[in-house]
Amino acid sequence: MKRYIFNITFLISFLVIFSIIVRIYYGDFEEALATELDFFPPDESLPLSECKDWGGGVRDFHIEPGHGAKEVSVLMYHRVIDEDDLGENHFNDNDELHSTIILKNTFEEQMALLHEHNYTTLTAKELLLFLKKEIEVPKNSVVLTFDDGFKDNYVEVYPILKNHDFHALNFIITAAITKRDPKYVANAYQYLSTSDIQNSCDVFDFQSHTYNFHKRAFSYSPYLIVKPEEEILEDIRNSITNLGGRNRAFAYPYGAYDEKAVSILKELDFEMAFTVIPELAKPGIHVYEIPRIEVFETDTLKDFKRKINLIE
Amino acid sequence: MFLKITLILFLIYIFFQLLYIFVPLFSIKDKKKREEVEKEKGISILVPAYNEEKVILNCLQGIVNINYKNYEAIFINDGSSDETLDLLKHHLQLEPTFRKLAAVKIPHEAIIDIYESKLFPKIFVIDKKNGGKADALNAGIEYARKELVITLDADSILEPHSLQVMNTEFEDKQVLAAGGMVQIGQGFKGNFLLPEPTFITSGIIRFQIVQYLTAFYLHKFTQMKAKSITVIAGAFGAFRKDILFEIDGFRKTVGEDMDITLRIQRLIKMKYRDCKLIFVPEAICYTECPATYRDLFNQRIRWQKAFMDCVVTYKSSFFTKLGFRLSIFFLIEAFLLGTLCAFPIVFIPIMLLMNSDHYMIVLGFLTATFVLGIYQSYTTMIVSNRLGLNYNKPDYLKIAIFIPIEVLTYRLLGLAFVISGTTMYFINKDKWNVATRVGTNNQTYNEGTFVLTEKAG
Repeated sequence: MKRYIFNITFLISFLVIFSIIVRIYYGDFEEALATELDFFPPDESLPLSECKDWGGGVRDFHIEPGHGAKEVSVLMYHRVIDEDDLGENHFNDNDELHSTIILKNTFEEQMALLHEHNYTTLTAKELLLFLKKEIEVPKNSVVLTFDDGFKDNYVEVYPILKNHDFHALNFIITAAITKRDPKYVANAYQYLSTSDIQNSCDVFDFQSHTYNFHKRAFSYSPYLIVKPEEEILEDIRNSITNLGGRNRAFAYPYGAYDEKAVSILKELDFEMAFTVIPELAKPGIHVYEIPRIEVFETDTLKDFKRKINLIE
Repeated sequence: MFLKITLILFLIYIFFQLLYIFVPLFSIKDKKKREEVEKEKGISILVPAYNEEKVILNCLQGIVNINYKNYEAIFINDGSSDETLDLLKHHLQLEPTFRKLAAVKIPHEAIIDIYESKLFPKIFVIDKKNGGKADALNAGIEYARKELVITLDADSILEPHSLQVMNTEFEDKQVLAAGGMVQIGQGFKGNFLLPEPTFITSGIIRFQIVQYLTAFYLHKFTQMKAKSITVIAGAFGAFRKDILFEIDGFRKTVGEDMDITLRIQRLIKMKYRDCKLIFVPEAICYTECPATYRDLFNQRIRWQKAFMDCVVTYKSSFFTKLGFRLSIFFLIEAFLLGTLCAFPIVFIPIMLLMNSDHYMIVLGFLTATFVLGIYQSYTTMIVSNRLGLNYNKPDYLKIAIFIPIEVLTYRLLGLAFVISGTTMYFINKDKWNVATRVGTNNQTYNEGTFVLTEKAG
């Protein structure tokens, strides 16, 4: 009996100590496992060779001097999910839809509104020239941007944009792109596959959102702020390699940037970079700090109209 | 992917370590008086000896003090170039004897002469040409007249009751072979007939004391429960003689003990399905362990080479001719975790230097390994205590302090041994490092023992 009690105590002490260890290290292992899985190789190129070169000809909008837009709205989206597909991963702890998600219906309405008002979706190049005051663009102009490159961008967004003959910038975390092309599961954290990219590059201009630096350090500061310059340079360079040398535009993860980040982008010959400062983009601003206005599911139609600078 | 694989391997590692901790802890009961069978089966003790002049007399002391009647001891002098044979001749008063020569069932090197002791009629000496340990044992089993055969290393000393214990275990007809408990001689002091465990010794011996106790009481015991014993230690093994003949004796290899164990396991799996191979913690012999790093290194290299030899030799037998569980223990635990994983493990510090991102992961693995190691060693001491190995209080304090240090220091030597041994196996398969014997013995013989030198004089 004494031995039995001793054995049980010994067992329990072991379980307690071991579960403490598991608790201590669980987060580190979880994070390391999540980031390690299936990286797109840093030295390979995505199948973009047959895609449209978005830097080519700039459209002539035939605008008389002084009649173009004074400022342009750059809209930012992340994920677009069909209401029927909503799952637990789409909600936060307070049972609210994640702010980065917008329902497909809402998105369709917004695009229809843009179409209705004859909006022109500008390319990155056109926006840049507009900001540099080299061209004029129509009054109803907008730039659509999507961050992170989730798979729903292909499944839900692509057909809608294609339907309206719109196009958009898509800032992808290139390491997250998968070579396999799994079935779309809305509730999972799926990123675009190589074939999704290949099939949607007539609508999306894929640009860099880092290779794998869309992360926060232990201090919660974004990698782009706290990591040494060489590492950031290396990471973004990998994303350029993945993108087959495309380095026109960059979007700062979490919108976080500093002078160092800007100088790195300049060194890598990026032409412009996007923040998340919710303002309209006006000619003459710093092209490495282009503001973007995020669109939320909770926005009313009125909110959205304001965001796209629609004056009726 | 790399971390995923590491994690899976580590989980398997934890699984085996937990088995080794909790199976013995919950199934080894406190020592109680064993009921020994009175009827003695005949036992032949075979002691192969190659250049063992420093230790052979200790071994002889153990044999003449055996508390058993129906036995014979056969020393096989395997062409020693030192004084081994002369010592035996002198102390045993050997005389050439006529002994019926069995038909040569297992080939071995030529026998030069066979002697019988005038002093101890149960002790014989075979003098033969050098052929290695397996060869000497094969010669020995041909001349053995008894039903059971015990193989004993020349540097090992039988505990007086060990034969009685073995005799009792072999009452079970299904037992084909049994391994005894090998204790480290340097870990005992006082009267040989009533040895007292001591922990007052050097670190390298302490390390081996804990390691042997763990290897036998935890690992071998657990493996027995899973019918998966992969080695009956050559220092002290017991076999049914007819089984040894059935498998054509010992094979000439670096590790004939693991080899013969695996062949018996194969025989059990293929033919004698109800039979078994057991570990007998109460049958004890005391062996002299290496006292210097050089000797320890040589010994472990030999063990690792022997292991690798068995991996290669039996590679096609696993799962088919050797049981599933044994194959898992051998290939997954011993080979994959114990040998293959040693190679990447040594690169961890280098990888950390290059990329310090994962230091928390490494620290996590280290912490878990450390805690498992400590728990296992403490379990070893608890189980040893239940089996009758009782240290005094100051020694237990020393042990309690030594164990965490050992896990972080001496245990790392194991990596070096495994890596060097495996590498050297592929470079030089057959070179056999013979350990140098020191011949120290902490134990003394007092009352009721034979003082050989005086009698011989």
